[in-house]
Amino acid sequence: MPIELLPFVAPVTLLVSAAAGFLSHGPRPRLLARLSEASALIAIAVAVISAVVLVLGGRHLTRLFGLHGVGVSIELDTVSVVMLLLISFIGWVVVRYAATYLDGEARQGAFTGWLCMTLASVLLLVLSGNLVQLVLAWVATSLFLHRLLLFYPDRSAARRAAAKKFVTARVGDVALIAAVTLLALAYGSIDIAAILSAARSGRGGFLAVGAGGFLAMAALLKSAQFPSHGWLTEVMETPTPVSALLHAGVINAGGFLLIRFADVMLLAPGVLAVLVMIGGFTALFAGLVMLTQPAVKTSLAWSTVAQMGFMILECGLALFPLALLHIVAHSLYKAHSFLASGGAVDLIAANRRPGPVAIPRAGAVGRAFILALAIYVVVGLGFGIQHKSPQAVVLGAILIFGVAYLIAQGLGDDAPRALAQRTVVYAIATSVGYFTLQMFAAWLTAGVLPAVPAPGPLQWALMVLAVISFGLVAVLQALFPLWASHPAAAGLRVHLSNGFYVNALLDRLLHGWRLRNAT
Amino acid sequence: MKLHAAAERAARAVPPVWPLASSVAVNPFLGQAHEGLASVGARLERVAGAPVTMPRGWYQERIAGGVITDADLSAALASATDARRPTNLSALKSAALASRSNIGAAPTIADLAAKASGIDWSGLIADRFGAWAAGYFDEGQALWAAPRGGGPYDAWRAVATHDLTPEIVGLSGFAAFVSEIPARAPDALETVVHRLAIPADALETYFHRLLMTLGGWAQYARYRLWEAELRCGADTTITEFLTIRLIWEAALFDRYQDQIDAPWRAVVASHVSPVTPTADHVVDTILQDASERAAQRSLADTLAAPAPVATAGRPALQAAFCIDVRSEVYRRALETVNPDIQTLGFAGFFGLPVSHRRFASDVREPRSPVLLNPGLTTRSGGQEDAAEDQSARFRARAKRAWGRFKLAAVSSFAFVEAMGPIYAGRLVCDALGLQAPPAPNDPTPRFDPDLDLVTRTMAAETVLRAMSLTAHFARLVLLIGHGANVSNNPHASSLHCGACGGYSGEVNARLLAALLNDPEVRAGLVAHGIEIPADTLFFPGLHDTTTDAVTLYSEDHPSSAHAHDLTAARAWLAAAGKIARGERALRLPRGAGEGRLIKRSRDWAEVRPEWALAGCKAFIAAPRPRTAGKALAGRAFLHDYDWKSDQDFAVLELILTAPVVVASWISLQYYGSTVAPEVFGAGNKLLHNVIGGLGVVEGNGGLMRAGLPWQSIHDGERYVHEPLRLSVCIEAPREAVTGVLERHEGVRALFDNHWLHLFALDEAGRMAWRYAGDLRWTAMSAASDPATPVRMAV
Repeated sequence: MPIELLPFVAPVTLLVSAAAGFLSHGPRPRLLARLSEASALIAIAVAVISAVVLVLGGRHLTRLFGLHGVGVSIELDTVSVVMLLLISFIGWVVVRYAATYLDGEARQGAFTGWLCMTLASVLLLVLSGNLVQLVLAWVATSLFLHRLLLFYPDRSAARRAAAKKFVTARVGDVALIAAVTLLALAYGSIDIAAILSAARSGRGGFLAVGAGGFLAMAALLKSAQFPSHGWLTEVMETPTPVSALLHAGVINAGGFLLIRFADVMLLAPGVLAVLVMIGGFTALFAGLVMLTQPAVKTSLAWSTVAQMGFMILECGLALFPLALLHIVAHSLYKAHSFLASGGAVDLIAANRRPGPVAIPRAGAVGRAFILALAIYVVVGLGFGIQHKSPQAVVLGAILIFGVAYLIAQGLGDDAPRALAQRTVVYAIATSVGYFTLQMFAAWLTAGVLPAVPAPGPLQWALMVLAVISFGLVAVLQALFPLWASHPAAAGLRVHLSNGFYVNALLDRLLHGWRLRNAT
Repeated sequence: MKLHAAAERAARAVPPVWPLASSVAVNPFLGQAHEGLASVGARLERVAGAPVTMPRGWYQERIAGGVITDADLSAALASATDARRPTNLSALKSAALASRSNIGAAPTIADLAAKASGIDWSGLIADRFGAWAAGYFDEGQALWAAPRGGGPYDAWRAVATHDLTPEIVGLSGFAAFVSEIPARAPDALETVVHRLAIPADALETYFHRLLMTLGGWAQYARYRLWEAELRCGADTTITEFLTIRLIWEAALFDRYQDQIDAPWRAVVASHVSPVTPTADHVVDTILQDASERAAQRSLADTLAAPAPVATAGRPALQAAFCIDVRSEVYRRALETVNPDIQTLGFAGFFGLPVSHRRFASDVREPRSPVLLNPGLTTRSGGQEDAAEDQSARFRARAKRAWGRFKLAAVSSFAFVEAMGPIYAGRLVCDALGLQAPPAPNDPTPRFDPDLDLVTRTMAAETVLRAMSLTAHFARLVLLIGHGANVSNNPHASSLHCGACGGYSGEVNARLLAALLNDPEVRAGLVAHGIEIPADTLFFPGLHDTTTDAVTLYSEDHPSSAHAHDLTAARAWLAAAGKIARGERALRLPRGAGEGRLIKRSRDWAEVRPEWALAGCKAFIAAPRPRTAGKALAGRAFLHDYDWKSDQDFAVLELILTAPVVVASWISLQYYGSTVAPEVFGAGNKLLHNVIGGLGVVEGNGGLMRAGLPWQSIHDGERYVHEPLRLSVCIEAPREAVTGVLERHEGVRALFDNHWLHLFALDEAGRMAWRYAGDLRWTAMSAASDPATPVRMAV
């Protein structure tokens, strides 16, 4: 077998496990647990070997296997290999977890089957060398995931959530199909590498701009961006590993799409500006909603919406390497958070033990912001921040705001000096980690992903808007206890905690609260 | 005021549920202890649609399989007094074959409105109520906490007048409706009841019905009342919940009155009629009784087996464990390792109800049975640990600040971009279970403030007498609490020691060991007739019930003289652990193979790390030789009790009113979660979503679920717990037992209404007398051993 075909081994072995899953019946299917984990491990091995092949042989595209120009092909480059490594790793963790977690479930076989099918289709998606494969894998992922979301089909809440997801996903499918149709028309090819190199040389015209618009739409729907965020926050009606896979694997498809077609997206600066606005708004909105959620998994789901918003914002600013980094970092974090969410009881009890949280006053918050800015400048200069794009520098403001929140907790009136010292150390470690990872991401994707173009007036305006709004939220959050008890804040909290009723409206539209036996 | 009295009665009909951080088993039928099973069956069917027995098929299977014999059925039938009972055995058996009719719960207005409109109003109320309550009672999940000013009703009202969801779903004007209801909860209650025109006689079960629609939330409110009353306070959360639920009813009635007026009048009429069991309820009760008689028969056989000859002389080691059924397996194993080892059973808080402050903690943890208000205050570590305490707090606070950084808006983006990739390592570590959670090991706990000598001596004497341990001390006496070291399990505390308030038991064991090693206390005890030899050393430990490893807190009492004894004890404990694991592995799915049990205890995906108290069916208070070596299979609570050294039967009274009641809560919690998992069970662990650090919901939200998760009573293929009401066997004169029951009406109700069965053992440890209710006893036929005449226990 030629080495270039190797990546196909990953989805194929998973499909074999899936078949074994569907064929087994009843609880405790013998050997299935081992078989599925083995196939996930094979997928990791394939991903690692593919990475080695990429390093040694460079970026390449396999020829198409299929008929009449339609079939499967692989685009092997940094983007697909990073995603391959990520998905196969998360896949292994989730499959291994599920094998134990679902032990004793009557339909463990079917669950494992759909889980492996979903994983295989995500892998085919990120490996896609052509548009047809991309669309098919995209749709298949969504349909297989739908089966997992309805693993307990009798739960009305599960059906309510899945219905919303289903509708959103189908609209997204239409958008993607429209996008690839325009791409094929614009470039006369379904080969992704060919399209990208043509786009990089500036060709494509208005058809490419339209394609960019539809790609953005598909990505926004897939990434649960406002106002289509609702479906993601309600899909905890299925066993925890599905949530982990969804929030760490499947949800990334939107961001992947934008990164994959970065060259096309750059042809549509207006679309990118829209991405900045929607992504930025979603990041702030969902981040605030997250703060109000008392249920651990729901809070994590809102966190995903926010993180995807931030990733979309990065795409909108043409910081595609950072967006890729964000996808990887967030997936690892979120997969762990979901799988370990049973520890919430212990965690909250532990948080109560050392006494009340020291509340920083306005002065302390101010000092924290200055300190955070100083750390940013000093560490940033060490990493050569002066050579970075304005977009990347501006995005660093987010780091300042975040780090300031951390430091402010150590500067509260009741906070001992030792706590302040520790939070400053954490802040420095965070800043170093931030710049190191950014350098790494930039180095890794150099030449594969387009460089950041110089910002125009619109971009500058959006960046200033982003910094102001993120900064405002950060300051308000740090001063939280000083205003949260105001009646107006209490009212706002009610609307926020309901996610501005988007789900309620969608439920009304889809008759989500209809009695089952009455329909 | 009839209305408020009815609300009060309905509140007390609901069992409490403790928050998950320190959860204990609760008898779900706590509010119905004064009634029998058949009548409770009728009541819970009306208010919750909940069965109180297994489906008929379950009994039928056991009758067909010979587990339940005709004799069991006849005996159960004979003891039934209800006029609607089947006339004879064959009528009973054919009734067992028929499926029972289930009338279901009386509909609420929400149910009627749902039927009329096709909109799932009950589901929406559960969703909205759950969303509000989870936010209001949140212990620290949300960084932007819900406002807590005023009581629950005020807070709900503030939310309900803003929340647009009901209007969007179709209840237009709900917020305005709420704002027109009086602002004081008691007035609001009167207003809505008046609007609905419910006659006073219908109120009690209607209110009970409404509280049951709030699931675990009503139970949590009942817990707040329980806690307040334990401290002689009051709490109105539960009646405020009832008021909230009634407002929903009134709003829906307003909206759908034309369509649901007639059915609603019928519902009201049904609430007016007294709760009476149907013939089906009576048959169910008889079948349940028969299955318990079958279990009692096998228990009697087990206990009638010849006892091993007790070895004379000083024991090589004494080890006291909690009465918890999991100790039984380990104790038997330990005695097998060396027959000269003597084990004892006693409530795992070792008689010291303490309010404890952990090392570097401000939080007071009640490490005592929840029936008691802990009278003693203790803390881990003293002056010499102050510096370490301080820096541990700083570490914890820095960790908490980091956690908030991770979860806050805006900063969470910085966190992910800077630190996200390190989770790759954590994923590998957790997926492979590389890290074992350490056994609890705070600095030595101490009384704070310290107790004076008289109090200490008195406490020591009381505990030793209650343990029936007043003479024949070994050189080394281990006091071993228990806990479960599991990971990623929201219900971890339910695997800990119930007698220690849902915490692990090492603190109480360490406190008692220190008390009993105190030379001043020992000197004082001599005056009370308890002479502890100078070479006797009490030593605390912790039994990890998931792995059967025992940690000894050796630095508490350094003694070079006992180094040898300790080494030997450690070897015996390790050997016993291996035997106990071998026995337990047979019951656990995927448990076979040395090391499997230890591995699964740290597996973050494991939903059945151990079976906890599943299977419990008996409580035996007798000297250990009566039960030693008998195959009780980890299904019996074992309490050491020697009535001959019990002056005035004070210890007997203590056992019947405290450990027996705690054991009944445990047994009935398993019972309730098995027969009515929808109402008294916590649901599917695979869907659990922890809310506010205090409870779980299934999936996205809705009602909090109390009780045991399905995975704790069922292994996927069969029930692991057999729903049996506990058989309490006591070796003591019947008159003495009767005397205690006479004095304690609440305890007597448990036995008279068969929430517990009571037996008196004879001196050979055989079940000789059955308590028949009304302070009467009947002799048991010694069918298992016809050659021996029944000996009186007195």
